[in-house]
Amino acid sequence: MSALLQLSDLRKAYAGVHALDGVSFDVEAGSITGLIGPNGSGKSTAIDCISGFQRLDAGRVVLAGSDITGRSAHVIARAGLMRTFQTVRVYERLSLRDNLAIATQQFDRASWLDEFLRTRKYRDAVDAAESRSRELVELIGLQRYYEAEAGILSYGQKKLVALAAALMPRPKIVVLDEPVAGVNPSRIREVEAALRQLNQAGETFLIVEHNVEFITNLCHRVIVLEQGRKLAEGTAAEIHADSRVLEAYLGTTPEIAAAEMRGAAA
Amino acid sequence: MRLAAALLAALLVGALPMLTSSNYLLGVGVSALIFTVAAAALNLIYGFTGLLSFAQLGFWGIGGYTSALTVMKFGGNFWWGVVLAGLLNAVVALAVGYPTLRTNRHAFVIVTLTFALLVTLIARDWVELTRGPMGIANLPAPHAFGYRFGTTGRFYYIAWAFSMLMLAFLYVLCTSRIGRTLIAIKQNEPLVRAQGISPMPYKLAAFSISAAITGAAGGVFVFHLGIVDPLILDFYYMQTFLIIVIIGGAGSFWGVVVSGVALSALPEVLRFSADFRMVIYGVILVAAMFVMPTGVAGWLRERQLARMRASLEAGPLK
Repeated sequence: MSALLQLSDLRKAYAGVHALDGVSFDVEAGSITGLIGPNGSGKSTAIDCISGFQRLDAGRVVLAGSDITGRSAHVIARAGLMRTFQTVRVYERLSLRDNLAIATQQFDRASWLDEFLRTRKYRDAVDAAESRSRELVELIGLQRYYEAEAGILSYGQKKLVALAAALMPRPKIVVLDEPVAGVNPSRIREVEAALRQLNQAGETFLIVEHNVEFITNLCHRVIVLEQGRKLAEGTAAEIHADSRVLEAYLGTTPEIAAAEMRGAAA
Repeated sequence: MRLAAALLAALLVGALPMLTSSNYLLGVGVSALIFTVAAAALNLIYGFTGLLSFAQLGFWGIGGYTSALTVMKFGGNFWWGVVLAGLLNAVVALAVGYPTLRTNRHAFVIVTLTFALLVTLIARDWVELTRGPMGIANLPAPHAFGYRFGTTGRFYYIAWAFSMLMLAFLYVLCTSRIGRTLIAIKQNEPLVRAQGISPMPYKLAAFSISAAITGAAGGVFVFHLGIVDPLILDFYYMQTFLIIVIIGGAGSFWGVVVSGVALSALPEVLRFSADFRMVIYGVILVAAMFVMPTGVAGWLRERQLARMRASLEAGPLK
């Protein structure tokens, strides 16, 4: 059985700078895979290229057996890959309900004609979206704001809304770009628990995050990027023990790095 | 509730010819109805989708010439003229929009402005077709089943029926999932794409529908004037539509409808001084933007939001 998401030899250069210089790794179905690395290591470029927001110079992206390399972002989303953004994106002037409803709109089979005629198909789709969005808004703990415009939420709360929106259509894989950056530290544990719960229910995640503790607690497998290349890959424990990783991340000795890592996670 | 109120208002507006026989008042009423439709169409592409289109002026003019020429040159009647004005503009908008919407929002503004100027040039210089600056005068009154809509009072019913039909259509569109998707595209296009929705067909449809309705409105309006000449492409019309949308609140269906009716009367009120009319108009616009930068509807919404925020903060913390 091949992996759900297969990335082989991804290459991308901006004006001579190699943002991605031959990166390959797999994301197994049902796993939580972490992607870490220092600033400028190519994590965000990797996500943008996988999700179709940037064009790869070379390489192949295969999702569930079908080649999605070079497809438009909306085509890749329809194929079952949903993503969030590092700088949070929500529809500021729409309610949480509408924010979540739009996220699944493309995935039900109701057309505009169904809507106009209020067919059974349309009503079923709306009901299904409604029960799914209530379930997810409860998961992120923002029930009170369900009818409120997303614009009134805090930055961290918006991150949670973006997460819920990505989960709405039950995609094959959810790619999260820094899901807990800016989230209230007391809520990070809750996000962690929620992601674990979703993962146990069968959802696959690929997560880019700076919070090392969050990643090592959560991920089955961690990939470390440095300067557009894969530096290391392994379980969280293996990565933690890898001196190359510590050096790349912090440019210092293991003892000091370990202390700083604890500091970064706190 | 709101819909019932709207229905009642629609009937009241329709009853105007029974309340007054003043041709002047009825004429202002015809303009108000048609301008409101054109503004609501601009609201679809600008207020909802976030694309500022100056092409509306071109569509308005093309619509006017199409309905006039259908009657005067091609032997059709008024009704066909209006339908053709709508259809032709829908097609023109697809042709202009398809390449232009691939560029960014700023380029879109420039291209649509250029398009409007180009239409003006054609209206003035393609003399065999448009008769140039002389225009096509003496447009006959529309008639149906032997009934002539020969007076302003009678023409008012055409304008009323037309605008109610168009506004009802736009209302259904704006409050549907399509309308919601247009708002989403305006607010955050990358997110829309990340959710599997391709923005292009939505933008193109909004532009084309907006063009068709504006063109049909122009087609009705020239028969109210009785003449079509290059003045139908006067920037004054574009300015009026834009001011209605901005003051009513871009992206608010009802805000723009109410402001359309209210502001169409304004130039008439200001008519006492033809020289200063535009200056006063401009001053009112700037003043309104200072007080309510998101229009009347936006201003009301901000207040509602503030109340909501306050009540959420006052509520029990979880």
